[in-house]
Amino acid sequence: MVHRIPVILDGDPGHDDAIAWMLAKASDQIEILACTSVSGNQSIEKTSYNARQVMTLLGIVAPFAMGRERPLHGEPIHAGNIHGETGLDGPVLPKPEIEPEPLSAVELMAKTLVSSKNPVTIIATGPLTNVGALLILYPELKSKIGHISIMGGGLAHGNWTPAAEFNILIDPEAADVVFKSGLPLTMAGLDVTLKALVFPEDFERIRALGNPVANVVAEWLDFFYSFHRGIGYTGAPVHDAVAVAALIRPEILTVKDYYVQVETTGDFCRGATIADHYGLSGQPTNTHAVIDIDREGFIDLLAEAVAWYGEEQA
Amino acid sequence: MNPIPVIIDCNPGVDDAIALLLARQLSELNILAITSVAGKVSLERATYNALGLMGFLDWDVPVYRGAAGPIFRNRVEPVNVHGSESMSGFDLPHIRPVVENVNAWDAIYQQAVQWQGMLEIIAIGPLTNLAMAFMKYPDLPRLIKRIIIMGGATAVGNTTPAAEFNIYADPEAADIVFCSGVPVHMCGLDMTMKAFMTSSEVDQVAEMGSKQAAFFRNVVQDIFTPKSDLGIIGINMHEPAALLYAADASIFKAYPAGIRVETKGTLTQGKTVTDLFSDAKWPKNAFAVMDIDRDAFISKVFKLMSNY
Repeated sequence: MVHRIPVILDGDPGHDDAIAWMLAKASDQIEILACTSVSGNQSIEKTSYNARQVMTLLGIVAPFAMGRERPLHGEPIHAGNIHGETGLDGPVLPKPEIEPEPLSAVELMAKTLVSSKNPVTIIATGPLTNVGALLILYPELKSKIGHISIMGGGLAHGNWTPAAEFNILIDPEAADVVFKSGLPLTMAGLDVTLKALVFPEDFERIRALGNPVANVVAEWLDFFYSFHRGIGYTGAPVHDAVAVAALIRPEILTVKDYYVQVETTGDFCRGATIADHYGLSGQPTNTHAVIDIDREGFIDLLAEAVAWYGEEQA
Repeated sequence: MNPIPVIIDCNPGVDDAIALLLARQLSELNILAITSVAGKVSLERATYNALGLMGFLDWDVPVYRGAAGPIFRNRVEPVNVHGSESMSGFDLPHIRPVVENVNAWDAIYQQAVQWQGMLEIIAIGPLTNLAMAFMKYPDLPRLIKRIIIMGGATAVGNTTPAAEFNIYADPEAADIVFCSGVPVHMCGLDMTMKAFMTSSEVDQVAEMGSKQAAFFRNVVQDIFTPKSDLGIIGINMHEPAALLYAADASIFKAYPAGIRVETKGTLTQGKTVTDLFSDAKWPKNAFAVMDIDRDAFISKVFKLMSNY
C-alpha cells in the first residue's frame, strides 16, 4: 500500500481546476480529505456548483464547503471571458450528488487539519482567500499543514495585468499571508504554466480513451482552447494541473528556490509576485518556484490519469 | 548613410565612461552633446568625469550640466555599485570647461529644434534631465525621433528585486519619459545581463596597447565582480550595450511593448512594468530590448577599441 499524501483541494473550477482535480483523484499518491471552493474564475455560487459537479463526475467522496463571496480585501473579479457564463462551460455535467457542509470553507479546512493524523497538503488552484484566512484564523493549525502547492503568480510577468497573474491579483493580501507563512510552498506560476500547453492533437488522444471522464475532459479542453486560440495560443494552458503534477510527478518539472514577496499596493503592480533573483534582500528562500516542464511528460500524465477512470468503471 | 544626430545623457561613472569611450569611435552616430545627470555618482562628479573624458579622448563635444537629483525624491546613493568615484586613479586631463548658462534640458531642446525631428537621445543614467525637458517644452515630443535608454527590466531588478538602478533612482522621471509619446527603446537588464565580457576578453582589449585600452581595462577591473552563484559570469556592459543598440540594432532583439513605471508600490517602486502580451493590452509606447548576439557584441567592442 502506497502512502498517500492527504490533501485538501481548494479551487474555483474552472476548466483547469477541474482537470487538476481529475489528476488528483486518479493518483494513487493522493488521498483527498476535503474540497473547498473559492470566488475567482466565477462567482462563489457558480464555482461551488461546478466543484460539486466535478466531484460527482470524478467520484470524489469527501466533504465539501463553500468559500466566501469576496476576497479578504477588495472587490471580486471574475474571468467569464475565459471560462464562460457558468465558469465551466462546455460539456453537460452530472447533477451534483454532494451537498455543501454547513460550514465555511475555512472552517472545513480547519476541521480537516484537526482530525488528520498526518500533516495535510493544500492544493490551491484559485485565489488564496481560503488559505490566507485559514492561516490568519487558525495560527495554531499551521503545524498541521505539511505543504501548500499553488497555481498562481509569475516571476517574469503577469497575465491579467502586465505585472499580476489572476489568482494572486484577486486576493493579494491573502497571497501575502501565504508567502509569508514560512510553510513549504510550491508555486506553479505563469513561468511554467504557459508551457503546460495541451495541443489539439492531445485532446484527441484523451478523447480516444473513450470513458465518460475522457469525453468530458476533451470537451473542457475544446472549450478552454477556443478562448486561448483567439489570443494566439497554440494549445490550452492547463495552469492548475501543474500544482498537482508538482506533488505526484516532480521529475517532469524544473524547480528553483527563491525568496518571493507579493506586492499589495502600487498603481500597476498590485498582485505581482516579486522574486529576489540576486539575493538583494538577504532573506532566505521561501518558495519552490516551478519554472519549466517536460510538456510530453505532462501530456502522458494527463492521459494516464484519464485512462484510470476507464479502468475503475470496467 | 548620414550619422544619426544624438545627445548622450549620462552619469559617468565607470560604465558610462566605457560607453563614452566606445561612442567616440562610432561612425554611425553624430554626437552633438553630452549631458550629465546625478545617478550612481553625484552630478558634480559626473560632470567632472565627463569633461575629463573629453580631454582624455581629445573630443570636442560640449558638456552640459543637468539635474543634481531626482525630481520628487531624495537622491539614492548606491552602496557597492561602482564604488570608485574617481576613474580608477586615471589622471584625466581637465582642460575643457562645462558649458555655462545652458543646462541639459535646454541643450536637448535647442538641438531638437535645430535637427527638426531627427534628434535621438541616448540616456544611460536616471531620466531626470529628459523629464525636465518634457516638462518645460510641450512641443519637444514631436521633435525627438526616439529615446534609447539603459534602464529597467521586464522581469528582474538589480537594485531591489523589482527595480533596476537608473529607473529606481528617479521613477517619476522615467514614467514621464515613457509617457512622453516618443518611442522609448528600453535596453534593460533582460538584455544587458547577456552583454557581458569575460576577464580574458577584457585582457584582449588591454593588449591593444593604447592608453584608451589601458583605461578600459583599469576601470573594468574596478567593477569586475563575477558572482557565478547568481549567474553573473563576467562584467556586464549595461551602458555600452545600450549605446551600441542606438548605433546598430541589428544584433539585438526588441519587441513592441507597453511600458509604465511603478512609482507607488511598496516592493515595486521603480519597476518598469512591461506589457508584452497581458489581457490589459496597454498601448505600445516602447520597445523592450530582450536579447543580444553576444559574440557580435564582443567583436564590435574589439573593433571599436582597436581604432584607438
